[in-house]
Amino acid sequence: MNAVAESLTVGEIASRGRETYRIIDCDVHHAAPDMAALQPYLPEPWRSKIVNSASHIGGLGYLSPAGHRRKDAIPPGGGMVGSDPEFLHRQLILENKVDLAILTGEMYGWNMHPNEDYANAVVQAFNSYTIEHWLEPYAQHFRGAITINSNDPHAAAAEIDRLGARPDMVMVIMGATSTRPYGQKYYHPIYAAAARHHLPIGVHPANAGVGIAHAVTAMGYPRTFFEYHTGLSTLFQIQLISLVAEGVFEKFPDLQFICIEGGVSWLPQLLWRMDKNYKTLRADAPWLKRLPSEYVLDHCTLTTQPLEEPPDPTWLLYIFEMIQAEKTLLYASDYPHWDFDANHVLARLPQHYKKAIFQDNAARVLRL
Amino acid sequence: MGKHSIGRVEAFPPGKQSLVRVAGRTLGIFNINDEYYALHNLCPHNQAPVCLGDVGGTLLPSQPGEYIPGMEGEILRCPWHGWEFNIKTGSSLFDPAVKVTTYAVTVENGELVIEI
Repeated sequence: MNAVAESLTVGEIASRGRETYRIIDCDVHHAAPDMAALQPYLPEPWRSKIVNSASHIGGLGYLSPAGHRRKDAIPPGGGMVGSDPEFLHRQLILENKVDLAILTGEMYGWNMHPNEDYANAVVQAFNSYTIEHWLEPYAQHFRGAITINSNDPHAAAAEIDRLGARPDMVMVIMGATSTRPYGQKYYHPIYAAAARHHLPIGVHPANAGVGIAHAVTAMGYPRTFFEYHTGLSTLFQIQLISLVAEGVFEKFPDLQFICIEGGVSWLPQLLWRMDKNYKTLRADAPWLKRLPSEYVLDHCTLTTQPLEEPPDPTWLLYIFEMIQAEKTLLYASDYPHWDFDANHVLARLPQHYKKAIFQDNAARVLRL
Repeated sequence: MGKHSIGRVEAFPPGKQSLVRVAGRTLGIFNINDEYYALHNLCPHNQAPVCLGDVGGTLLPSQPGEYIPGMEGEILRCPWHGWEFNIKTGSSLFDPAVKVTTYAVTVENGELVIEI
């Protein structure tokens, strides 16, 4: 009996009316089975420290009633979801007919660890682990994202330089929570390095309110995971406003940002509010030469998951029109987390959107 | 419409969660205090195999700030996105009209019989 076979896979969804495009999944969370798996890549004193959970960042105590991970994605041998390359390859690539998975890991939030030397060593170790255990054995189906500790921009730039020439590394990834807005000069060494290697920078929610981060929201700490998770879109709004206002896209004209797992439908409001304000307040950012919305639409893409589910699914098409989805959206599943999208809304999309979102936009931005 | 025996009742003790294949469909069989329920293994949200989810309780509707645990063993939570369903009715907890399809189960001569 194969219960899963009754479910439509994302591959089947996409293949309705499919012509000749690949499915590129831009947010797949692989993991090390445990921290000991990183020890071979760590020098002392970090090699000893990493297996002590008291040396990790910790959490806030928010607990999702649904759990944080897809229950049927636990590997047959047990252990962390996403930690078994063979099982992930089978469940996502073969059963769901995804052609290429961008492995984003789960370590980009280490920028909120107070010890930046330790955090630098851990993300380097994770990148090396990823190359040896995932990218090299599964070169046909997996591509990597260089995890950086954005809180130490010079070290982050060095890590981008260490791995940026590898053809199997197609993105830089960093946490969406930072101690100051990402547009500021402090972070520009990261952007210079990414631009040198023609790598886009993925930004993914992580450790909001945790470690050395400020409070989860400007109003402090909400009570529940429901509030916390719904509010994550605001991280991206703050970061995008800063990236535009600080002139990052004038200084780095080829730089691309990917907003991963922040949702989509909030974007029109942000674009229109920025454009309206800019007309009066342009002296706050005199280096801008175009409307704020134009920078965002030319330099930023968003992943689809978790795609909003309005009462009338066709309303999404209006949003898509407002944000030029034919060039700004990338498909992502978020496998193997609880809010995974094998998304039937995508199945109903007009064909030109499907080809763009499943393949063309990712191929362009990630240079695949 | 037809009746399909899926085996002796002893094979479905209280608290047990089973998958069976009946008339081309995969059903989850649940025993809650010796009452039997059959649910289609297909979540109305995104077609996930809902019957592979955890069975447990939930928090009942209450006043702000009040926590009332209840329905222990009667709630099926989809393994993908965590939607909660009442096993006895198939209805989701957020909207009774959003349902997993249910099938009548009877006991005939010590056998569990599903009507599809």
